[in-house]
Amino acid sequence: MHELLPYIHDSISNLLIGVQFFMPEIWLSALFIIVLITDLIFGKNSQKLCKTIACVGILLICILDLGQRDFVKQGAEAGIPLFLFNNSLLLTRTAVNFKFIIDLLAFVLLLYADWDHKLRAHKKGLSDLYTIIIASVFGLHLMTMAVNLLSVYLSIEMVSLASYLLVAYRSENAFSTEAGLKYVLFGAAASAIMLYGISLLYGFTGSLDLFDGNFVQGLSQANGTAVSFALVLVLLGIGFKLSFIPMHFWVPDVYEGASTPITAYLSTLPKIAGFAVLINFLTPFIFSAKWIDFDFKLFLSVVGIATMIAGNFAAVLQTNVKRMLAYSSVGHTGFVLMAIVTFNQQGITALTWYLLVYSIANIGALILASYFANVTGAEDMEGYKGLGLRYTTASVCFVIILISLTGLPITAGFTGKVFVFSAVYGVYQQNHDLWLLLLMITGALTTVVSLFYYLKIPLSLFIKRLEIVKEPVSKSYNLLFLATIISVLLILLGVFPNFIINYL
Amino acid sequence: MLTLLIFLPILFGFIIVVLPSSMRASFKYITLLATLLQLAISLYIYLNFKTGAAFGGIDHETQFQFLQKLPWIHLNLGSLGTMQVDYFVGIDGISVTLLLMTSIVMVVAALSSWEITSNLKGFFALFLLLDMALIGVFCSLDFFLFYIFYELMLLPLYFLIGMWGGARREYAAIKFFLYTLFGSVFMLLVMIGLYLSVKDPATGNHTFNMIQMMNPANYTPGSIFNVLSHQTIFGMSARTVGFVVLFVAFAIKVPVVPLHTWLPDAHVEAPTPVSIILAGILLKIGGYGIIRICIGIFPEVATSGAFWLGLLGVISILYGAFNALAQRDFKRIIAYSSVSQMGFVLLGIASQTTEGISGAVFQMVSHGFLSAMLFFLVGVVYNRVHDRDIYNFRGLGTLMPKYMVFIMIAFFASLGLPGFSTFIAEAFSLTGAFKSALLPNWLGICGAVGILFSACYLLWTLQRMFFGSVSLKGGDIWRAALVDLKPREIIALIPLALTALALGVMPSLVFDKINDSVLALVSFTKTFIR
Repeated sequence: MHELLPYIHDSISNLLIGVQFFMPEIWLSALFIIVLITDLIFGKNSQKLCKTIACVGILLICILDLGQRDFVKQGAEAGIPLFLFNNSLLLTRTAVNFKFIIDLLAFVLLLYADWDHKLRAHKKGLSDLYTIIIASVFGLHLMTMAVNLLSVYLSIEMVSLASYLLVAYRSENAFSTEAGLKYVLFGAAASAIMLYGISLLYGFTGSLDLFDGNFVQGLSQANGTAVSFALVLVLLGIGFKLSFIPMHFWVPDVYEGASTPITAYLSTLPKIAGFAVLINFLTPFIFSAKWIDFDFKLFLSVVGIATMIAGNFAAVLQTNVKRMLAYSSVGHTGFVLMAIVTFNQQGITALTWYLLVYSIANIGALILASYFANVTGAEDMEGYKGLGLRYTTASVCFVIILISLTGLPITAGFTGKVFVFSAVYGVYQQNHDLWLLLLMITGALTTVVSLFYYLKIPLSLFIKRLEIVKEPVSKSYNLLFLATIISVLLILLGVFPNFIINYL
Repeated sequence: MLTLLIFLPILFGFIIVVLPSSMRASFKYITLLATLLQLAISLYIYLNFKTGAAFGGIDHETQFQFLQKLPWIHLNLGSLGTMQVDYFVGIDGISVTLLLMTSIVMVVAALSSWEITSNLKGFFALFLLLDMALIGVFCSLDFFLFYIFYELMLLPLYFLIGMWGGARREYAAIKFFLYTLFGSVFMLLVMIGLYLSVKDPATGNHTFNMIQMMNPANYTPGSIFNVLSHQTIFGMSARTVGFVVLFVAFAIKVPVVPLHTWLPDAHVEAPTPVSIILAGILLKIGGYGIIRICIGIFPEVATSGAFWLGLLGVISILYGAFNALAQRDFKRIIAYSSVSQMGFVLLGIASQTTEGISGAVFQMVSHGFLSAMLFFLVGVVYNRVHDRDIYNFRGLGTLMPKYMVFIMIAFFASLGLPGFSTFIAEAFSLTGAFKSALLPNWLGICGAVGILFSACYLLWTLQRMFFGSVSLKGGDIWRAALVDLKPREIIALIPLALTALALGVMPSLVFDKINDSVLALVSFTKTFIR
């Protein structure tokens, strides 16, 4: 005990220094507690209040995130990386951007959650849901910054636990219960696999700190096959969050079974944070000149190509809108992996932009799925038939959002595609790596495929005709309003990407 | 000026969207007003377009007219420099005639939209959006801008065909969309490759400026599409791959024969105004793209591959004509005749001679008017009885004498009767093909035979449908329905017929404007490599 005493001072001061860079997260936990207590005090009537507090709070945290940009800038100018809490977290520009995007999207999701009639019909009320989402955002924040295998694992687990709760939050029928259970089982297995990989890595190096010089060096001295095995295990664990092939099996069922706002959550936030973790995890290997044992580029390229192909082609066969969007989100993961493979700052900028645009559009698409479910009860293409002329605004928004997801001008999705392609091309021009070319060709081909299935929705809405038009079940102006804003935003970002992308 | 021309339609489109549906009767007048205003502007541009060697355009930025250049997207790419996208529009001789042709055809299309009865707001809003995209394509000098307009026309067309089309409209619409997108996503890849290869000498940024892309000195050493670096993709020269990809994208639009199968479906299923736009304008974008982009940026590949281009052109001419002979749907005949006639454009381009390229541009203009006229005429019959099978009609000539006059003009103009525009166009294309050192003479001969076949299918159709005693499948009901042309229809047809005649008599209307640019293009392709 006594021999540790001299270190206490250092570690405490390290903690205290870290705290000033940890303000958004501290306020997030405060927000979590406030929402929780509000829920407890006001009981069943707290729903509106909780929602207001959560939304306002998350917006304030967005502002705090923006404030962190200055720290990062100062840190970059001074050449000191901002390691926090004994090297378990690293605050980078990318991390701050990711955090900001996550908070912004979380705001939209919090707004949207109780506008979905099915979710609102939940007996217990949605106050708990807000609490859980805030807690998961805390975990997502940690994910974006985690650079220590332990913190990586803990933050992923934190998000996973929250996601399990969210998926199973409302189980209306056997199918969604099954989805919830499937998700938990898959998630548990994935995290076990990842933990095994982490323990192997720890065994090889005696360190959990990714940026510790000994870590990569230790791995390059160990047996190549064993190290590769361990790395693949960890990547698979991360892949569960990203839902790339072969870790995508849970996606369609869970996305379809969960409530639509939860699907919107699952398809965006954990994915963004998952990519942040992947970047953090890969960085030390990329910058280590000695690292030759395991070819991340090859691995990720193959996975990316497989994911793009499988996700997009599987989506063609779907008739349920949410299921189709699930497969398409798998396809998008593959596309984003392409940006990862560049391993440079431009690629990461393109990736951040692509993820932002994809997430906005995907949330928009699911908002409209909610809207149509609210208004007409339709959930598949069959039910959408002939609705286009009746609900013109919503249908036009749907078209814009889907066009953005496909990546056609003049929507933001197109600029996302262009930036990713040019990042990859830039690298290809230098090293003439065949895999990059294959990735780009696959990306282009699957764009055509994706057009085919995305267009099925406008096809049903506008072109198929139905004689009997059902009377609307109920109205849902909030969602329509939100979807309109999202569509306008997508077009604006498509025409003027300058406004945002130069800040990424 | 050009900006106004491009964005005028969308302004009116916005007005239509905002107006309440109760005013739907006024939408067609608003659209007509928009297209007429557009026509006035493009007439002004045409009349004020300066000619002379100093206004050749093609690869000299300063020689373009009505230029406008605004910085749009500037993006720092870190180690790769800066990405520069400009809002950059301007025209040279090749675009100006196509621009005027587009404006006239749009007016006709707007007039023929009178027949649309359902969901007017959507139709006219999409129509005007499409109008904007079409004009934008012909004016853009920045590849990024070009691509945006190029893609932007797909969506309105998809809905225009899909919502207001015929029985198999879903199939036709999605087929059209997928075909074109297939070409253009790969075009996107080449476009990105090009811009990463090219640096603007003035600013040192990577640029999408097409004119800078034409100058081999602007390519950074070692970049993929640099002429001197001889990069390969899958064992083929990168520049060849780039050319082929771009060519395929535009060939789908033209359409060149193995890639033409979307056209009969789309043209037949589309409502008349959309068929007019498709045949009259959209196909020209393919030809325009080949001239401006494929040849402009990869001239040496175009020269070495000239034989193949010419061969594809001739195959299109003959194959299109044979198919037209075999059809019994009136609209399909016209659709295949488009394939056949656009083959002359490709043949003319492939020759890379002044005559050939002039002929190609002239053919595009002439075919723009004539195909619009033909589709309009088909629409007239179809609207009245909702049938287009040739064997269901006989002796229409006696029933609809005024209609007959226009049919005769359109048919004889299309089959290349001297005195009409097509004659000049085909004559020049073929002269180019015979004169060109790049093409063997038998290609020209086959092309000439194609004219013969076009006479066959047109005259045969004329004979089957219009001559003889009146005999209709629908009997007296049809006879009552098939009234002669209404004043609105005549107003729409007269300018088309007159231009077809005027261009045949005074080809200088077009040649004067395009000549300098064609000369510049030909000399540019010659100097590029040798």
